[in-house]
Amino acid sequence: MIGIKAYGAYLPKYLLPRELISQAWDFPLVPGNKAIANVDEDTITMGVEAGLDCLAGIDPKSIDGLFFASTTQVYTEKVSASLIADVLDLRENIITADFTDSTKAGTTAVARAVEAIKANKDIKSVLIVAADTRNPEPSTMWEFGYADGAAALLIAEEDSLPISIEDYYSISANVTGPWKRNETDSFIRTFEPKMDAQFYIKSLTTVISEVMKRNNLEPAALGHVAYNYSNPRLHASIAKMMKFPQGVAQNGMFFQIGDLGTAMPFMLLISAIKRPKPDAKVILAGFGDGADAILMQIQDKKLVRDLGKDHIALGYQKKMTTLKNYNVFIENKKLLKKDRYTRKSSAVIVWREKDSIYQMYGNKCKKCGAIQYPRMMPSCFECRTIGEFEKIKLQLKGTVFTFTLDHLVGGNYYETPVPRCVIDLDGGGRILLDMTEIEKPEENVSIGMRVELTFRKMHEGGEFHNYYWKCRPERGRN
Amino acid sequence: MVRNGIKDKVAIIGADMCKYGERFDKNQYELLVEACDGAFKDAGITKDDVDAAWLGVFYYFTGLSGSTLEDALRLEGKPVTRTENYCASGMDAFRNACFGVASGAYDVALACGVEKLMDEGGSGLPGFKIFGHPLYPLPSAPAMFCMAATRCFHEFGWTKEDLARVAVKNHDNGQYHPKAHFRRPITIDQAMKAPMIADPLGRFDCCAMSDGAAALIITRPDLAESYAHADDYILVKSNSISVYTMAPWYWPSYDFTHFPATEKAAEMAYKEAEITDPRKEIDLAEVHDCFTITELLNCQDLRFCDRGKAPEELKNGTFNWDGETAVNPSGGLKSFGHPIGSTGCRMITEVTKQLQGRAEGRQVPDAKIGLAHNLGGAFSICSTTILGQRD
Repeated sequence: MIGIKAYGAYLPKYLLPRELISQAWDFPLVPGNKAIANVDEDTITMGVEAGLDCLAGIDPKSIDGLFFASTTQVYTEKVSASLIADVLDLRENIITADFTDSTKAGTTAVARAVEAIKANKDIKSVLIVAADTRNPEPSTMWEFGYADGAAALLIAEEDSLPISIEDYYSISANVTGPWKRNETDSFIRTFEPKMDAQFYIKSLTTVISEVMKRNNLEPAALGHVAYNYSNPRLHASIAKMMKFPQGVAQNGMFFQIGDLGTAMPFMLLISAIKRPKPDAKVILAGFGDGADAILMQIQDKKLVRDLGKDHIALGYQKKMTTLKNYNVFIENKKLLKKDRYTRKSSAVIVWREKDSIYQMYGNKCKKCGAIQYPRMMPSCFECRTIGEFEKIKLQLKGTVFTFTLDHLVGGNYYETPVPRCVIDLDGGGRILLDMTEIEKPEENVSIGMRVELTFRKMHEGGEFHNYYWKCRPERGRN
Repeated sequence: MVRNGIKDKVAIIGADMCKYGERFDKNQYELLVEACDGAFKDAGITKDDVDAAWLGVFYYFTGLSGSTLEDALRLEGKPVTRTENYCASGMDAFRNACFGVASGAYDVALACGVEKLMDEGGSGLPGFKIFGHPLYPLPSAPAMFCMAATRCFHEFGWTKEDLARVAVKNHDNGQYHPKAHFRRPITIDQAMKAPMIADPLGRFDCCAMSDGAAALIITRPDLAESYAHADDYILVKSNSISVYTMAPWYWPSYDFTHFPATEKAAEMAYKEAEITDPRKEIDLAEVHDCFTITELLNCQDLRFCDRGKAPEELKNGTFNWDGETAVNPSGGLKSFGHPIGSTGCRMITEVTKQLQGRAEGRQVPDAKIGLAHNLGGAFSICSTTILGQRD
């Protein structure tokens, strides 16, 4: 059967209470919070986090493809899926593609993954990573909704799977709104929100009805339905029109974390199947210039529940920090005009050293056994033997050996202090990393502190995006 | 490692430095002229007596290649080599000049160094955006040394007050040096309350950004008698350099509580100079104090005191200008700042004056053997020079 083998999710560290937006612009109070990415995060870094979570306990070399879905991909020419596949340490002979420009990109990617697996005997599994970080225009109502996050589904063909994919159905619907032009638009625009609302309801009800009809399903047979969610009233009206029983249409997360765009249907699905209903039918649906509905079947309730043990997924919610200040949001979204620190870079070096920079491989000395990093230095630190190394995968967690809080970043005083931490990695290897997402570092960074590595955007040197690892206080990723 | 060495094969016959400070109105060539002219006068020679020159420069904006000195002095196409070895750039210029003279290839050599740090603005060492690996973190210079401070606080129980005492001692000495950038004493309280640069190092734990140049004229001892300092030329007893990794934070077993480069350079220098008890035999030392923690650890690694004991010895006065081993009687980098390419030559100039008894207002009593020491990079490179009086 073909279905979902594993899932993963990532929510950034910070929650912005919507009342801070109301206060900032003198808007009516809106309840709940939304998740916002840090200044060093984008869809690549959040996608890597969701991918790492999804592949916990799974050999990345066993994956045959990676599809990336987003409306806020960081390059218009250059495949994000390839970059994420590199960091996740997937094989070279895999299929990759980016599904972009629509908030249904995630569900579209799922359907295409099923087809790839059916059509090609060499493809048994495709990892789908959906991530979005859509910037709302400040002082508009859009600010209350747009949030940041990522989710991943591993679609595979195996004899037994927790959830099978039974059917899918799609439509195309061309309507101008919402849109964002490459050259001229800083923010998403819309012409007539009421028309957008109508298309949202019509498109999703069409595909969901069709997939139910051709599988002879009554609403009572559905355990969980997850579809894009940007407005509570519109979301509820679909559930009402479709006569879904109470609790079937997944709706809790919008108030807690906001609208994650492309990642939203995945996130709602993952949230729902944390408590799976036995033998239930599940519909995953995506909307955006058309719609997809994917019908699934819970095969084994215990297997589905066990998935939650390997993957922290929404467990991140417990480790989020609620912001007390609206300005942090403006800063994280780079909406403040500000000079930013950029180093030089070289695409040649990044490519040549990708096994150290992206994949966290180190060296193990064949003579003395010392494990060390990075791989660019060809002689052993400990026994000085030249060129007798074997390549070894390092672990993404460790303990602070020594540190400083650096107020001088590149000779300039901003975004400081930056904790610079010398970390002894679990299982061997020592590394120097900046620490991110640490509040009051003067009080909270210490020798012996436990940290985990997180993939982040470092700078824009060389006029391209430069990514590397930082460390953060443990959030509990496996 | 030291085979034949250069002990007693090289004599310093002229030495001088420019006024250190924020020399906004002078360029690198003018500072070099100020220092070199002083050294020529001290030696009683002119630039035409120089056979070859070595120039220490660290930053690309101060100068690239030997032409930087040619454009200051116009040496008629004579040999000039630029040396760059982090903070030891100036002392490495001197070391290479020594080899030029000791080999007999040249009779008179000029060793000098210059840096115009203020030309790039003053908030921390410039250039960190441009060099280094594009992605691996490149901590600021204070942040590098702070990693040692954090670890020493943890291992030895040292405190911010221990660090502050280094700054107080050096600024106390610096007030008597007419060429120093800063000539005002400070208090422990001032040092401890200063704004943080990189925890736990505050502003007074860090040397300042300054401009400066220094120059030395050397020859062979048999020729030295025919120059101005026939009676009090200074002999080079040893000159060593030790080079380790620029990335000690990847070294799995490194403990961050000692500097291997200083230990190794000291071992080589003491062996060549036949010094067995440095604390007793060395009367004064210009020790690299880019940061207060650096001086404390260097004093231990130079074997002036036992491991972990430097703060205690400092408190007891061992390293005062009239103590058992005077450390930085000039005021050190704390008082002069650290125009990188010049600092090594500035230290050797200072030790020369002290051994000649010409350190007016700051003379270390009965100084016969002196040491100059640079530590650069991420504790990567150490250069150590030992000087003594002529027989």
